[in-house]
Amino acid sequence: MADRELTTLLSHLQRTPPPPYPQTTALLSRAKLLLLQLNALTPSPSTPAPLLALARSTYEQGALASIRAKNPDAFTRYVAQLRPFYELSSGVEAGEEESGERNKVTGLYLLLLLTQGLYGEFHSELEALSATRGQQLGEVEGDRYLGYPIRLERWLMEGSYDRVWKAMKKGEVPCEEFGVFSEILTSQIRSEIASSSERAYPSLPLASTKSLLFLESEGAVVEFARSRGWTVKDGQIYFPSAQETGEEEQEKEMSQMVIENTLGYARQLETIV
Amino acid sequence: MPGKTPDKEPVENGGYRGGKDMTDKDLKPKGKKASKKEGDDEMTVVVPPSKASKHSSANPPNDAEGDVAMDDADKAAEGEVKADPVAQTINDIKSNFALLDRAVALFDARFTLRALRSISSIRKRLTPDILAQAISETYQPSSASALVAKQMLQVIGRPDVSLGRQPGPEMEIDSEPKATGKNGAKKEVKEVIPEVDVFLGILTQVLLHDNKQFQQGFGFSHYLVEQIRSVNRRTLDSLSAKVYFYYSLFAEQLAPLPPSPHSPIVSIRPTLLAALRTAVLRKDVDTQASVIVILLRNYLLTSHIAQADLLVSHTQFPENAANNQVARFLYYLGRTRAIQLRYTEAHEHLTAATRKAPSSACALGFSQTATKLLLVVELLMGDIPDRSTFRQPSMEAALHPYFLLVQAVRVGNLEDFETIVADHADTFRRDGTYTLILRLRQNVIKTGIRMMSLSYSRISLRDICIRLHLGSEESAEYIVAKAIRDGVIEATLDRERGFMKSKEVGDVYATREPGEAFHDRIRACLALHDESVKAMRFPMNQHRLELKNAQEAREREREMAKEIQEGDLDEDDLGGEFEGM
Repeated sequence: MADRELTTLLSHLQRTPPPPYPQTTALLSRAKLLLLQLNALTPSPSTPAPLLALARSTYEQGALASIRAKNPDAFTRYVAQLRPFYELSSGVEAGEEESGERNKVTGLYLLLLLTQGLYGEFHSELEALSATRGQQLGEVEGDRYLGYPIRLERWLMEGSYDRVWKAMKKGEVPCEEFGVFSEILTSQIRSEIASSSERAYPSLPLASTKSLLFLESEGAVVEFARSRGWTVKDGQIYFPSAQETGEEEQEKEMSQMVIENTLGYARQLETIV
Repeated sequence: MPGKTPDKEPVENGGYRGGKDMTDKDLKPKGKKASKKEGDDEMTVVVPPSKASKHSSANPPNDAEGDVAMDDADKAAEGEVKADPVAQTINDIKSNFALLDRAVALFDARFTLRALRSISSIRKRLTPDILAQAISETYQPSSASALVAKQMLQVIGRPDVSLGRQPGPEMEIDSEPKATGKNGAKKEVKEVIPEVDVFLGILTQVLLHDNKQFQQGFGFSHYLVEQIRSVNRRTLDSLSAKVYFYYSLFAEQLAPLPPSPHSPIVSIRPTLLAALRTAVLRKDVDTQASVIVILLRNYLLTSHIAQADLLVSHTQFPENAANNQVARFLYYLGRTRAIQLRYTEAHEHLTAATRKAPSSACALGFSQTATKLLLVVELLMGDIPDRSTFRQPSMEAALHPYFLLVQAVRVGNLEDFETIVADHADTFRRDGTYTLILRLRQNVIKTGIRMMSLSYSRISLRDICIRLHLGSEESAEYIVAKAIRDGVIEATLDRERGFMKSKEVGDVYATREPGEAFHDRIRACLALHDESVKAMRFPMNQHRLELKNAQEAREREREMAKEIQEGDLDEDDLGGEFEGM
């Protein structure tokens, strides 16, 4: 009875185009209540397989819906809830086709970690991915959904921001949910580029800065320059140099450190001799 | 009863002395065990036979000594005892019971450790028959722990051996009625202590493991763990640490093998965590250290990095744990940190792990594995490892792929790097360093840029792009800009004309860097000194002896002073002393 109702709910959720967010949340909370009745809210080895699949798809839909609604907290929660389901299923039905949304959700999660700058977690997740599923990393990279965040991370670390930029354009994104992150990523790489430009160039012409920062117009460049505290003069951008001021203080600090260290050694030596 | 006291004393003595001899000799096998447990994926490396034979040949005199102590009158029979390896092994096993007895009586864990150390030498000679005999001779059918004994016999495939057999049916030819009678008498008056149960249990585990009977071993270990948890004896601590160790080792060998989340190692986690909790509450350092290490290994095998990290942050690794455990702990910790991109910490832990690893050739597996990981972490930090690391004869072959890797990174040749990674992908994957090595790509690029900035005062972005095989000039520009910001090179970019101009390299000695390096080294030396002072051990009551000596010396001095006063001594006699002063 309850499971049939759940199936209909799920088919509502999986409809394309997806229903608007408020409606989705209502459906989801009803689905979760049903899961609770069926005792399948959290998985256990004794849970029957079809029910497990149902619960899993419910959570997957929830995760995707929260991404569409740009709610990273809810998404992280769904991913955490999904994890035991994946662990439970990956060994038992190794040969069987995996749930279609798994790679998508994991890929989105990786991308989320990337945009939040949680590289440590990103790599832990990656390690788990390549080890737990008995796959070679090459295969993981080859996957449409999983390969995307992995490539992005590599380019970000290298500094090939132009490739990241290209990858975020319309046609390159594996599916629309991934596009949600583009905005965050763009502002992220823009500030990265800006901070490295400050150090790398003595000055920049306005015209080429536009392409450097992937901005639309020169007006946007001027606005961006102002927000970062750069000075614009005669079509050139000059970066404020923050270098010279701290020199004297550093010198002082250094000699103090030397004195402290030497005193420390003297005390230690005294205890030894 | 009257026979007890005179008999017991020498036996203990003999056992004690035998054990002491073994400590020196057993240092090596111990190291070897560490390597086996720990290090390589080939965990079931069989001990090279040459060593084993050397060992057993070295043993008889030692045991003979024990026999002499046991009963001087038995000297004649001793020859035969030595000749029979079965009887001798059984004797070796039993001599450990004395050590365990002593450990319980004196409440000194060192005797237990000594008994544990002898396992590695017994291990090579252990067969189901020998163990079955030892068990049956130890237990009376009526004794409280007969159930445990039966279980052991069952699991080694000798369920029909009855308990309470009199020792040495094979020795009947030796006609040693005296010894037999004596042992029998001893057993009647004494109940078998739980330490002996567990010790025999460990031997059973070892035997099953060596014979690759993992399923039985797992079942039995589970039973033994339950048994241990039902008793609360501090003298059992180091023994139970061992039991847990084999328990998890068995679990690892069972299908489905570790990376799968359904491996039995996942199912033993609750037991291990419970053991850890109990160990912490009881301040049981041995079990605590060993269970933490086992759990870490367990988590890392299934790539549950987050859990491993949580475990480390929520537990405190005991400071005075055994050196081997510390080395292992540091290795796993270093591994976790490396995955989490915390390279500085990883480097620190791994350096300590490689230094703490037993230096003998026997723990080679562990040293190699730790060194491999350390090399990769060093590369990730942007350092180039010492060439001498690769020259050590014991490491050279194993580290060869890493040597090539280091060369590619050092030169900054992206193409070479990628071919090497592709060529040795299997090796790296087996070592568990593959994902880490993939992260090296950016380091190769950075090194390449640095080399270029050092060799050219001005170079066009186009050339950089071609040399480093980067995708496009724009990529090159962004990458160089990032390198400048990260402080990899000192240079400026010229956007209009598209080139990179290097700045003059400043004098390193003008910066604070050499001072800091110097400070680090001094601190390390001082810490080493402190640690060695702390590690010193003094024999008990020695200071009283010294005090006595000092007192005597003082008295002598006083006498001498008196004599001088009285003018009995010549000037000549005093001459030497004055010079000395």
